[in-house]
Amino acid sequence: MSSSADCSREGESSKWLDAHYDPVAGLNTFSSCIALADLHGDGDFKMVAGDIGSGPFNMKLKVYKGTSLMSENALLDMPTGVAAFLMDQNEPRTPAVAVASGPFIYVYKNLRPYFKFTLPALEINPLEKEVWDQAKEDKIDPLTLKEMLDGIRDKAEIPLSVRSLRFLMLEQQEMEAFVNTYKQLPLKRQVGLPSVPALLDVNGQYDIEYRITVACRNGNIYILRRDSKRPKYCIELSTQVVGMVRVQKNIIIGTSQEILLGYSQKGKRLWTVTLPAPIMTMALLEQKSRSIQAVLVGLKNLEVHLYRDKNLLSVISTPDIVTSLCFGRYGREDDTLIMTTQGGGLIIKILKRTAHFEDKDTAPGPPTGQSIKLNVPKKTKLYVDQTLRERENAVAMHRVFQMDLYRLRLSAARAYVKALDASLAPVSSTMQEPLTLNAAVQGIGPRFKLILNLQNTSVNRPSMQLLISFLYDEQLYRLRPAFFKVPLLVPGLNYPIETFVDCCTDKGISDIIKVFVLREGKSTPLLTAHINMPVSEGLVAG
Amino acid sequence: MVYVDEIDVDQEGIAEMTLDENSIAQVARPGTSLRQATAKKHEGPSPAVRPVTQSGRPLTGFVRPGTQSGRPGTMEQAIRTPRTAHTARPITSASGRYIRLGTASMLTNPDGPFINLSRLNLSKYAHSPNLAKTLFEYIFHHENDVKNALELAALATENAQFKDWWWKVQLGKCYYRLGLFREAENQFKSALAHQDMVDTFLYLGKVYARMDQPLTALSMYKQGLDRFPKEVTLLCAVARIHEEMNNLTSATEYYKELLKQDNTHVEAIACIGSNHFYTDQPEIALRFYRRLLQMGVYNCELFNNLGLCCFYAQQYDMILTSFERALSLAENDEEVAEVWYNLGHVAVGIGDLNLAYQCFKLTLANNNDHAEAYNNLAVLEMRKNHVEQARALLQTSAALAPHMYEPHFNFACLSDKIGDLQSSYVAAQKSEAAFPDHVETQQLLEKLRQHFAMI
Repeated sequence: MSSSADCSREGESSKWLDAHYDPVAGLNTFSSCIALADLHGDGDFKMVAGDIGSGPFNMKLKVYKGTSLMSENALLDMPTGVAAFLMDQNEPRTPAVAVASGPFIYVYKNLRPYFKFTLPALEINPLEKEVWDQAKEDKIDPLTLKEMLDGIRDKAEIPLSVRSLRFLMLEQQEMEAFVNTYKQLPLKRQVGLPSVPALLDVNGQYDIEYRITVACRNGNIYILRRDSKRPKYCIELSTQVVGMVRVQKNIIIGTSQEILLGYSQKGKRLWTVTLPAPIMTMALLEQKSRSIQAVLVGLKNLEVHLYRDKNLLSVISTPDIVTSLCFGRYGREDDTLIMTTQGGGLIIKILKRTAHFEDKDTAPGPPTGQSIKLNVPKKTKLYVDQTLRERENAVAMHRVFQMDLYRLRLSAARAYVKALDASLAPVSSTMQEPLTLNAAVQGIGPRFKLILNLQNTSVNRPSMQLLISFLYDEQLYRLRPAFFKVPLLVPGLNYPIETFVDCCTDKGISDIIKVFVLREGKSTPLLTAHINMPVSEGLVAG
Repeated sequence: MVYVDEIDVDQEGIAEMTLDENSIAQVARPGTSLRQATAKKHEGPSPAVRPVTQSGRPLTGFVRPGTQSGRPGTMEQAIRTPRTAHTARPITSASGRYIRLGTASMLTNPDGPFINLSRLNLSKYAHSPNLAKTLFEYIFHHENDVKNALELAALATENAQFKDWWWKVQLGKCYYRLGLFREAENQFKSALAHQDMVDTFLYLGKVYARMDQPLTALSMYKQGLDRFPKEVTLLCAVARIHEEMNNLTSATEYYKELLKQDNTHVEAIACIGSNHFYTDQPEIALRFYRRLLQMGVYNCELFNNLGLCCFYAQQYDMILTSFERALSLAENDEEVAEVWYNLGHVAVGIGDLNLAYQCFKLTLANNNDHAEAYNNLAVLEMRKNHVEQARALLQTSAALAPHMYEPHFNFACLSDKIGDLQSSYVAAQKSEAAFPDHVETQQLLEKLRQHFAMI
């Protein structure tokens, strides 16, 4: 087992070259915020990364060249995506960088802000607009407004805006305030999907035919096409989607249940792979020279797995949890894998040109557990002899055992009754005061700390008017308050009560201290705990 | 006069354990240290079969200092009194029992000490070798004054031109008591160069064990065994080291080798017996315990073990008589509690849950800190649908013995049943930490994770 693992590790190191590792690069980003582009048109590819910084501060657009940071631009808001694209036909062909953040897309040209693009609002339902216009001029009251909006929602072709939907959910008394707040603002429709989108994937051309795959927060994946206003296909998953990658015509989805799923373009499930750990991130690996397309999956167990369809091609071990992956041309090297880690580290690996991935089926034949032999000890000759004896004297043995058992039951019952009468047990058995007591001693002496853990185990009845007293040898021990009241005990909570015991002998002997829990006005204790005091070390040592 | 067997094991104190400056690596490589969290990988029986001590090491068949509690993870564990040990950990091994010996000897002489050490001219006595040796033994063992003993030994070894191995061993003993292990190692090694002695090998092994270098200790013992083949004490020491490193199979082999030399060695018999018992061969364990009985060991623990072996080997006529004998031989409440606890197991085995309930209750009445009994009682309460009681008992059990996985797992199951998934998950994680290979815990965790991931 271990030798084969070693083999595969060796195989990994022969496939990937470690180009660079900086554990303190201070780069916190996600897969969607990394892009590789030939920014200056000189054939030297740079990495553009939208750094989310530390929470809401220090968000930056960073450009790396080789192993070093080339430039930094401050960003106003949290980046959600970075892409490089060609804006014009000018020579040299230098791509611009688009950074999505908030409702804007910032476009950088030559690493300078070029323009800002605000996402347009979608067209809104004319009826809805009219209704709100009327509300603005105070022509209708909120109740009528609600009725009309309800009517529009049921029939309308274009779905209602978020504001109207929120309005319909409100209670009657809140409506008025809502209308007053919002009626002056122009109406917008922003979401064309049934839920909040989380991940996007686009292919095709806008003018001809395109497909947009959207993974949403409600665990559904919608596939949109050019000529349809509503999602064409819908994949319903039972869990959240954490990663989505399109490989040729298939969609590979990673879910929060540690499962990798493959779907066709029309939303048909093709295969399922169970992963060893939660998925952190996913990215596409495309080696153009060999026309290999595979999916990189960054896992929480410090590994990056490479899957082609459902076959595991390669496993890369990383020193930290990988949070973003990007594969492509970097510098002058065609197949470079860039990873950033949870601790802000940057790892760059290069795929060797001689590397060859072999398809191995991950689940060949029966599971490995089947071939492991269980360590069952052999039955000894002694055992056989004993069973013979058992067979021959079965009746006698049974009789002896039964008689002993009756006697045991009797003696156990006697001891039990005795313990109950004296309430010796630390668990009370009466239905009126179900309590447990547990005492612990800490320390090495001469002063010990006594901790009594008192708990009321009834369902809903608090215990009141309880007292605690101690019984001990006064020549050996001194307890400061040897008698005190217990506060009201709320059911189900543990009440640690602490007190100190001083050992006042230097003879190196110890004794038992008894703790009683009493009810006010009754002399028989409810509970008793015996504490075997340790020998005091402190006095003799000191 | 009582001699303390110096070569025997001694328990590390709190100070040595928490302020340890001899350990080289914080996280030792597996298999090279006595003090790592051994719960990670179990070579022998799993904790589901063989109970473990606080440090996650399987229980031994023979109680020695240090086998009960192992190394504590936290300060709180260090100062808590471990079950079945009657004193808390000594502060340092230099105090504790040795000091007590000193005071005990003083108590017997109310007129004052026999020799006034402060008035002694040590250099004068160091010149007469015969007297010096006696005087050294008196100072070291009776007065327990290591500093003066060291001074005398240093003077005497100088006087003997550093050629007397005996004085070197004594110097090493003094250094060991003072916690200067490297110096002790040098002295013992130098003594070995003069004269091969079994004692010296044992002392050296002890030094290495204290420095947490079990492998060096083992090689030292091997060296000793080459010089003194089949020496019983050396074999025993090797077996103990193997046992502490969780390598129970080789420990048993060494104990067997030992028994070939000395067939009345109680420790070896007991350890092999318990090992057989926990590897599903109670009938053989029964033979070993019977051997102990024949040798005249006649106490509560032995009958307790005999009763359990009989039960699991299906020799029903002997079970309850053994336990009855054990009960009558019990010297204190703890022993009584153990007998009732085992009787509770027998009652569970024959399906008499009412009797089992009484037995576990009696265990608790006799020993309030019996975490296993709390756990078992909680399971019985759970069967009666007394959820609140079961919960309280499991919490107590988990607080008393955080090293046991059972209370955590049971608590997780209980919480899962009543729908408190959050506490169930937390408890299941604790159970996993205590016993990583427990399949049911893994399944429960998996189920809970799926629950949490579901929309």
